[in-house]
Amino acid sequence: MQLSIQIRHALAGTAAVLLLAGTAVAEPITVVSWGGTYGAAQDNALFNDASKNTGIEIIRESGASMSKTCLQVESGSVTWDLVVSGSGGAANAAAKGCLEPIDYSVVDVSDFYPNLYTDYCVGSDVFATVMAWNTDKYGEPGSEGAPQNWADFFDAEKFPGTRAYRANNVDGALEPALMADGVAPEDVYEVLSTREGMERAINKIRELKPHIAVFWGSGAQQAQLMKDAEVDMTTGWNGRFDNAKKDGAKVGYTLKQALLDYDCFAMPKGAPNKDVAMKFLAEISKAEYQANLPFHITYGPTNKKAYEVTTASKELIESLPSHPSNVPMMLPVQLDWYAKHREEALELYMELMSE
Amino acid sequence: MSLDHSSDSALPIKISGLTKKYGDMYALDAVDLDIKSGEFLTLLGPSGSGKTTLLMAIAGFNRPDAGSIRFADQEMILYPPHRREVGMVFQSYALFPHMTVAENIAFPLKLRKVSVEECALRVEEALQTVQLDGLGARNIDQLSGGQRQRVALARAFVFRPRILLMDEPLSALDKKLRERMQIELKQLHRQLGVTTVYVTHDQREALTMSDRIAVINHGKLVQVDTPEAIYNAPANAFVADFIGESTLLPLSLGGGDQLYFGDQSIATVQAAVSAQGGTENNQGWSLVVRPERLLVLDKNSSSSQPLINGFAFDGIVFGGTIRESVFQGESAFLIVALASGADSSGVDVAVRFSTGKAANIESLANGQQIELGLHREDVIVIPQEAD
Amino acid sequence: MAASAGSRLKHADALKRQNRLEQWTLLGLAAPALVVIVLVVLIPVGWLFYLSFLGGDGQFSLENYQKMLKYKSYARTFMTTFQVSILTTLICILIGYPLAYFLAQLPNRIAGLFMLTVLLPFWTSLLVRTYAWLVLLQRKGILNDFAIQIGLWDSPVKLVHNMTGTLIGMAHIMLPFLVLPLYNAMKKIDRDLMQAASNLGATPTRAFWQIYFPLSMPGMVAGSLIVFVLCLGFYVTPAVLGGGRVIMVATQITAILENQYDWGAASALGVVLLVATILVLILASRLFKLDSALFGKG
Repeated sequence: MQLSIQIRHALAGTAAVLLLAGTAVAEPITVVSWGGTYGAAQDNALFNDASKNTGIEIIRESGASMSKTCLQVESGSVTWDLVVSGSGGAANAAAKGCLEPIDYSVVDVSDFYPNLYTDYCVGSDVFATVMAWNTDKYGEPGSEGAPQNWADFFDAEKFPGTRAYRANNVDGALEPALMADGVAPEDVYEVLSTREGMERAINKIRELKPHIAVFWGSGAQQAQLMKDAEVDMTTGWNGRFDNAKKDGAKVGYTLKQALLDYDCFAMPKGAPNKDVAMKFLAEISKAEYQANLPFHITYGPTNKKAYEVTTASKELIESLPSHPSNVPMMLPVQLDWYAKHREEALELYMELMSE
Repeated sequence: MSLDHSSDSALPIKISGLTKKYGDMYALDAVDLDIKSGEFLTLLGPSGSGKTTLLMAIAGFNRPDAGSIRFADQEMILYPPHRREVGMVFQSYALFPHMTVAENIAFPLKLRKVSVEECALRVEEALQTVQLDGLGARNIDQLSGGQRQRVALARAFVFRPRILLMDEPLSALDKKLRERMQIELKQLHRQLGVTTVYVTHDQREALTMSDRIAVINHGKLVQVDTPEAIYNAPANAFVADFIGESTLLPLSLGGGDQLYFGDQSIATVQAAVSAQGGTENNQGWSLVVRPERLLVLDKNSSSSQPLINGFAFDGIVFGGTIRESVFQGESAFLIVALASGADSSGVDVAVRFSTGKAANIESLANGQQIELGLHREDVIVIPQEAD
Repeated sequence: MAASAGSRLKHADALKRQNRLEQWTLLGLAAPALVVIVLVVLIPVGWLFYLSFLGGDGQFSLENYQKMLKYKSYARTFMTTFQVSILTTLICILIGYPLAYFLAQLPNRIAGLFMLTVLLPFWTSLLVRTYAWLVLLQRKGILNDFAIQIGLWDSPVKLVHNMTGTLIGMAHIMLPFLVLPLYNAMKKIDRDLMQAASNLGATPTRAFWQIYFPLSMPGMVAGSLIVFVLCLGFYVTPAVLGGGRVIMVATQITAILENQYDWGAASALGVVLLVATILVLILASRLFKLDSALFGKG
């Protein structure tokens, strides 16, 4: 009897191993993110553990881009399964028919903030486009004399020094200019919906341009510019600056008037391992993984439940852009506006840049 | 022709103590050389002998270690090449490929700020002189080798230099053209009257063209003299060997004052010493045998009286065996193994003779015994080289 | 008589066949290269032309070209592209000519050693070299730090993230493309020519300008054209060292693709750049007899 039980256990174990082996035989899926500390944070918080726990093998690539995704889809040679994107980029790609709809019977978003997922994209983190500055030059955030809002950023007399601003991309570039020009945050997108409004923003940036020493092209470059003290103040993504600070950069930022935005995971249309990838996406969207993200980069979870299960300190949690105490002072990015006006706004912005 | 330079525009060159070392090797070893005004002097030597180094030193293209180069009374050794006013024809011709024939020839004139009209006139004259009339507009790559040679020549004398240097100017031409150009260059020299220093390693060319030849070897002048003197009285074995064809037969000192080849008495030591300008010699003596100076004696001549064409021959007689006979058109030659005396057996000499019907070449078969004669006047005795 | 005519034509056909066979063999040898050119040049360029004439709705349209006229940024980008290319070429000539001249005067073995230092950059990645310049030239970079320390200037000079930095980086990367053909052309200049010139009375300066310089022109024209054309399509260096202030066509193509996924508009930019480049080459070939510059003379 005893023996037979043992045998039965052994058989069950073997079956389990065989089952596991069965999943392991599946093709590895290709997960594409960005370089720098962002990709590393996702590796450490999401991908590595999820891969271990599900047995799904992943191939990690950098250089995620919706334009490359569309190229793969249009040329019929899709090799990527999951791709990180900004929310606007994903919406644009979805409109062009480059993305696979998300199967929400597999991916559970019942605990997600409702505006952080769409038919084609599942939110991965919440970030803010902020103004950051060299603390040696302008003081620690909150201290007296430190920059307070976009008006200060655009005021080169009150805060003499060099600036950096976004290059060759209009995302998050016009809103700060309007706020600096006195438009209330809640009116920004309404004003921007006319040509005059866009030109008003462009003109504000044009005024600042003599002080813009560098136009940045990537998050990694934002961090590098502050580390090297190449510029005194820049726009950028809050998590990059926290990590730069950890690396010893004299940098601080404020979430006041920051643009609240999120990144998400999208699946190229015709992804080679669609089903496995969908399962993997479901796994990394779980609160238990999202709860680890703040340890690696100060971007907020998109799964509300993550706030409950996370072991992160209260101080860290409260610094996240998606924390309820921060959201009111920020301007949420409006994807509708980008869907309608992005192309024209970009042309105007490129005119300004090429001057 | 109007290109008639008075010979007083020619300059004498006086070179003394000129020394140039490359590493441990002397390219020029304290060379002294006087070149007369209007003279055609050839520097003759094997490759690496220093003849080109000497020419380049005169032109100013290399900087000697020591010495003096005077044009007339003017010390030139410190002058850069562009201030020496010396015309030069390069072995490669060194024509400017991006200029036409006329532009090449006009180049030195323009540098001398000759007026446009005169420049055109003189270029045309120069082209006539080298028989290239009407080719002034041609590009260099449209010219044959001989034509390029003439352009290089015209460019070298068009600015009326008082010294003309030529560095193996004919070496790239084929044999026929080369021989024609030798005559033309000689005529041109006579016409221009300019002091000319000519470098060649071709002894026949040197003999054809020169007023005097300076034989140079290992950076030293070996002999400087007229072509006839160099040919007929070579100073040593090197000159004898280098100028014309020759075989050296070692002589032994016999009884009294006599020098012997085998059992043939050749000359007296006293005569040899005086022919060499009184130089004593401890190394021994050699007989220089030139192929065209040897005579084929009649076959049937009795041993007591050698005959040539039936007449008595009272010169020196060598016996030997024909090893090879070669017909070359205007002349023929034999290679004969001399067999006179135990010590000199096996020495080959060449015999050259013109190919009249009377020469009867068919009768000279390999392996046949033969007697060769040498007139006493044609005896050249030189000191043996120190080893 | 008939027999002799026949014998005169003996084997004529067979010999002609052999001739033809030889020509076909030559063509056969060139075939792989031709195939590659068709595959990687002609077809993609044709595709590029086709795409550039497709509107947003997939129908034939000139909208991509019209857009270029509508916004000033396109004309400016082309201006900047040509400006950067011309200036880089000029800097390369100013630095490269004396360098090539110096190398050409050296004995071959030593010249080879120096050439190695000229070519060394070829073996490091473009990106690494570009970022190295950034580290050297930036506000708190090595050069500014050093200059301030020895008192050359008081506050950091803006050396990068602008035209200056772009030109420095571009010239550094392009220099070998100028020096190599130039050095080759100079090596081919017969030393006797310079001696002849000085023998004929030319001072070293005149000999250089009247003989050496004209003869080195083919190499210089070839090298300059290579540099110029490569510059026209350059992306990385102006993007990194220009700091967003030097926007060249390649940068703008990327911006359009990254933001709008608009292949038609990007293709139209590529087509205009290609046509402009070809026009420059045609103009240059008229001016400099390019065939002899690129392929040498006889």
